[in-house]
Order: sequence, then structure tokens, then C-alpha cells
Amino acid sequence: MTEHDDRQIRDALKQSIPPVHTELRRDLWPEVLRKLDARQVVVPWYDWALVGLSAVMFLVFPRLVLVFAYHL
Amino acid sequence: MDLLQRFTHGEIDAFETLVRQFQGDIYAWTVRIVRDPSVAEDLTVETLWRVYRARHRFRPDGNFGGWARRIATNLAIDHLRRNRPGQSFLAEPRGVPQPDPVVQRETQERIQQAFRRLPAKLQVAATLALIEELPYDEIASALGTSAGAVKLRVFRAVRILRKRLSQAGIRPERKNMRTTT
Repeated sequence: MTEHDDRQIRDALKQSIPPVHTELRRDLWPEVLRKLDARQVVVPWYDWALVGLSAVMFLVFPRLVLVFAYHL
Repeated sequence: MDLLQRFTHGEIDAFETLVRQFQGDIYAWTVRIVRDPSVAEDLTVETLWRVYRARHRFRPDGNFGGWARRIATNLAIDHLRRNRPGQSFLAEPRGVPQPDPVVQRETQERIQQAFRRLPAKLQVAATLALIEELPYDEIASALGTSAGAVKLRVFRAVRILRKRLSQAGIRPERKNMRTTT
């Protein structure tokens, strides 16, 4: 394949594929922030405390599992 | 603590500064590859989100722009892979030799489609090297490969394009693309 061939293909592509405008039209930070907020699931400390307490209770009083299941 | 260190520690203010500083560059790079402004905007947002998520892997003494650009390039390649054009358009070569504007436009559309049907990695290398005429080193850096590998990809892209266009009866010439029997 010669350089002439390459140039022909290059010219054909340049004619067929229009140039793009590379300037960003708007600030994307608000959208990035929204995406960060949407995908970050923050579990507060008291939820973790509740989960821990529940686990301890179930270990100490296994029958509580039945009561808990009944109320689900 | 400098900006990049603060970013790696997850400070959102530092990340905002970096976004405002680099979003234009990431967008410009992405739009050159995908050729669609709204897709490029979405991919830029996704890139920035991934950049933040991967902040622990970034070394504060590294090149933030280059790192973000590599992530953007990978996302753009994934996008091109997912959005391959449909069935081949090259089945019926046309036999009209005149440079009729309608025929000319059709020929251009066929070339566009042939180009989009290239394997994504070849398409990206060819877009950046042949259409955008960017230096091989710059392309190689964004693709995470060597300049030699980029040249090889461009060579393969040109060879495939030439073959497909030839099968479709299209002979690319400067200023005037001919469709032959």
C-alpha cells in the first residue's frame, strides 16, 4: 500500500465525514454532581448501629427471628 | 496539600476545580472520536464520574489530563462497539460514473458507513490520525499503546476500507469520488 493510497483514503474520509465542533457548549459540572449523588448510597452511622444491634439481639435471643419474620 | 492530592483524598471542591479545568479537553477529545456532540457530552460526564470513582488509583504526581483522556478513550471505544451500524450497505455496487451531487452524497454516506463498520480500535486510530490528523504519539498516549501500534492500526483500517470500498465499486479519488461498475 503506497502513501498515495493512504492520501486517497484520507481525502475520501475527510470529504465524507464532516468536521466536528470541539468547543463544549455548557458546563457539565452540575450533571457530574447529580451523577455522583445518584450513585453514592450513603448509609448513616445509626443505620449501621441498628443493624449491629439487631444482629446481637438475634444471636442472644434466636426466637426473635420468628417475631421479626412475622412482622415483615 | 495541592489540588491533585486533595482530589485523591476525595475532596469534592478539588474535584470540581479539576472538572472545570479539564471538561473542555475531555469533551473535545471524545467528540473527535464519536462525532456526535450529545453523545460526547454524556461520555464526558461518565468519564468524569469514573475519574472520581477511580481517584484512589491516581498518583498525585501523575498527569491528570492524560489519565482522564485514556478513560475517555476507552469509554468512546466501548460506545463505538455497542453502536455498530446495522446490515452491510455495500451489497449493491452502483454503476453511475457521473459526479452527480445525489450520487456523490450517497457515495459519501457509503464511505461513512464503511468507516463506522471498522473494528472500534481501528476506527478510533484512523479517526484521530487520518481525519483529525493528530500526532501518532498523542494518539498512542490516549490509547495506552505505542506509536508503532497506532500506525499499524491505521494501516489495517486503510486496507480494510480500501477493500470494502472497492467491493462496493467506490474508487476514492481526491476531490472527486467515483462510483464504478
